[in-house]
Amino acid sequence: MPITYDAVKALAAELYSASLRRIPEDTKAALRAARARETHEGAQRVLEIMLGSALRAEQTDRFVCSDAGVPVYHVTLGTAARLDGDIKRAVRDGFADLVATITPPLLKHVTNPLTNERGYAGKDMPLITWEVEDGADWIEIACQPKALGSGRWAALETFSFPTLAQIEEYVMRVVVQAGSQHCPPVIIGVGIGGSFDVAARLASKATYRKIGSPNPEPTLAAMEERLLRAVNATGFGPMGTGGDTTALAVHCDYAAGHGYTPVAVCFNCWINRRTRARLHDDGRVEHME
Amino acid sequence: MRTLRMPMSREDARSLRAGDMILLDGEIVITAGLPTHHRILECIERGEEPPITLRDGSLLHLGSYSRDTPEGGLEVLYMNPTTSTRFKPLMPRLIRHFGLTAVGGKGGLDRACADAMREVGCVYLSFLGGGAPLHSAAIRAVREVAWNDLVAHYRLVRLAVEGLGPVTVGIDAHGNSLFETLSAQAQARMPAILEGLARDRAAGAPDHA
Repeated sequence: MPITYDAVKALAAELYSASLRRIPEDTKAALRAARARETHEGAQRVLEIMLGSALRAEQTDRFVCSDAGVPVYHVTLGTAARLDGDIKRAVRDGFADLVATITPPLLKHVTNPLTNERGYAGKDMPLITWEVEDGADWIEIACQPKALGSGRWAALETFSFPTLAQIEEYVMRVVVQAGSQHCPPVIIGVGIGGSFDVAARLASKATYRKIGSPNPEPTLAAMEERLLRAVNATGFGPMGTGGDTTALAVHCDYAAGHGYTPVAVCFNCWINRRTRARLHDDGRVEHME
Repeated sequence: MRTLRMPMSREDARSLRAGDMILLDGEIVITAGLPTHHRILECIERGEEPPITLRDGSLLHLGSYSRDTPEGGLEVLYMNPTTSTRFKPLMPRLIRHFGLTAVGGKGGLDRACADAMREVGCVYLSFLGGGAPLHSAAIRAVREVAWNDLVAHYRLVRLAVEGLGPVTVGIDAHGNSLFETLSAQAQARMPAILEGLARDRAAGAPDHA
């Protein structure tokens, strides 16, 4: 049974809607653990309010944040999956359908960067990254609406043959620049190497990774661990009003490059909007989170 | 936890200290729009009042989805803060001109704003980002919506709220700013943080490195 236009369209809409209303389980667990560790009284209270907001959103099926962001999808196509219909159009139509039917309605956040006019649609929307998985008989769709709070503070700089010290110092520079403004505690994605676009994509993709799943490469796992300690030593704290918890996780990834090495750093705010599911060739829909 | 009446009296504003957490009852004026701020400034330039009075009141960087009800009223479906820092060049003039007693949103404002706030007796209130379910539940009534030609979250909206918060006083009326203090603290800590990273790298370096 091939994977149809209708199935992809429905899933694209469903994943977006779900990401607005539910905070991933790993993120809630990380917030609870942070609350238990936190020594700053005000920060303890802010973390409790965050967990309360997450719970209330689930109970009432409401949005956690009023800024539904812009639709960002990451689609992985399995080469053994049989496709029936226009998959790219299905994702686009899925979002358009959602805008027309979702309750409560979305605010208009899709912005024409040349005029700053806002609406529900625009050039190249939704923003989709495509990847191919050899041999897989499924399509995987991941959704991560991005809004100003965390999207605004991403940065990239290109170095020549940098040391790990230089890379880590740059990450810290971007963290301090974002300061209190990105709705901390955040999930930080770091992409190292490849090329300009590859580094950015690695960083972005790293934020999708579950909290508590370090990079399998020991060098990067160690970097993630020490950067998390370093970020939390800054003291910005939850909502940037002080505390020990500025980040819930730092996720790093890399690609080989030329020696000119782009380093990309991006953030996902504390609500960590992120959903993912697979459409299998046999008609199954597997919700991964 | 103290519950303060909105619009906040200047006396209440001056009684608060950066870091305090409070709840809000009463009426607030909100917008999340940069074009809205520009329109308010145009009103000032022309010597006119904006369609919703801001005099001695609040201007909070909260975005809302408001719509007409079948009964001819208005309802707000949800509300949440936006990042205040993008409004910072415009805020000192608005704070001084209207004698605002409370501004707010998330992410804070800068020193120029904090100076204006100290002069007039005004506080910055930090709302929970991702707090839409909580903030929205505190709305009791929509009093006024102005500039309906703008997208919903840019409109100027006057709301009645009860138990809104808790919010953190991010900048008090005495010139103390958590945002400034924390940013300076992070900068000051950076040499030690970088040394710590270097130590960790040396300790954890694989043998073949």
